[in-house]
Amino acid sequence: MSPDQLYRDLSTVMAAAFPDRDPPEAVGPDTRVFADLGMASIELVVLGERLEQFYGRKLPFGPFLAGLRSRGADDLSLGELVAFLQQHV
Amino acid sequence: MPDVVANGVRLFYQQTGAGPDVVLVHAVTSNQAVWVFAGLPEAIAADGFRVTTYDLRGHGASDRPPTGYTSADMAADFAALHAALGLGPALVVGHSFGGVVALHAALLHPDRVAGVILSDSFFPGLRHVEPNYGRPNVWVDLRETFGKVGVELGETVDFAHLFRSAVDLTPDQAKALDDIYGAVGRGWLRQLPRLAETTCGAEVLAEAGLTADRVAAVGRPVVALYDEFSPFLATSRWLEQHLPGCAAEVIPAAKHLAVVENTPAFTAAVRRHLARLAGRADGGAARG
Repeated sequence: MSPDQLYRDLSTVMAAAFPDRDPPEAVGPDTRVFADLGMASIELVVLGERLEQFYGRKLPFGPFLAGLRSRGADDLSLGELVAFLQQHV
Repeated sequence: MPDVVANGVRLFYQQTGAGPDVVLVHAVTSNQAVWVFAGLPEAIAADGFRVTTYDLRGHGASDRPPTGYTSADMAADFAALHAALGLGPALVVGHSFGGVVALHAALLHPDRVAGVILSDSFFPGLRHVEPNYGRPNVWVDLRETFGKVGVELGETVDFAHLFRSAVDLTPDQAKALDDIYGAVGRGWLRQLPRLAETTCGAEVLAEAGLTADRVAAVGRPVVALYDEFSPFLATSRWLEQHLPGCAAEVIPAAKHLAVVENTPAFTAAVRRHLARLAGRADGGAARG
């Protein structure tokens, strides 16, 4: 699946999962989910569930999130998220 | 599906793995992301367990009813979730207040709990043995942080005051705390005002029937994992002395949140004790 399609999917899933959140004005691969989108860690867990429902398959989202901390990252970019989806969807 | 209605409350949960059941219960003001980001569910699942994590009522992505926040209420939630998901007798790992919920569930619903692993839990019913009751290091840290933006939390733990203070923050104070807590910690800060809409602050430190005698009467194996710099080491010693067969262990280089502060040591200890409690001599932690 193309990155453009995955960005569109992400946008659709996030808008449905977090209807109270204002959609960001402009997002790209460098957009950070915590610092720029203001998401909380539990919202990423929810997002993982919603993405599994959207694509109708189990995704290794838990290990992906755990990998953030184990490599010392303090945020997650949409580019990383899309790369993860490209690998598993 | 990630939601289940238990005891009249919609709870958000996750499951991974297959095998005997393990349930992870987080602390007050936390949520199940603390386990997920530490990789604990996957590590335990790799040892042949089915791992369920969920958000306590009022927390994370679960519903937030106005009342029902004692450990007895939460034990009823646990039992209802356990029944709704069709789990078998579970080994329950609880951090801090989550451990109180786990032990209370083991007393009230012994058919649903096969064993309990406590991580740095404080029991209101044991306050008489705990010299640090009300003034644990984590509260001192919190008080200092809020003090930097001109908010006085008081010397002794008062969750209701914390939640109300979070509601009353001026925009400047909220911005300053956002900067201190950073991009990730901000999520924790922003959920505090929502708990002010509930009785959580007033009820979470209630004894709720879990007296010292009741704690000592728990009929399931208990493991006490307490942190090296825990404020509650007297509680750990009491549990070891009063609960037959209680195994106590110190997690090094941690002060109340070992799953984050020393993830490898905490994970290894949990895996080892789960394997032992499940009757597996080899122990999953031996594989890494």
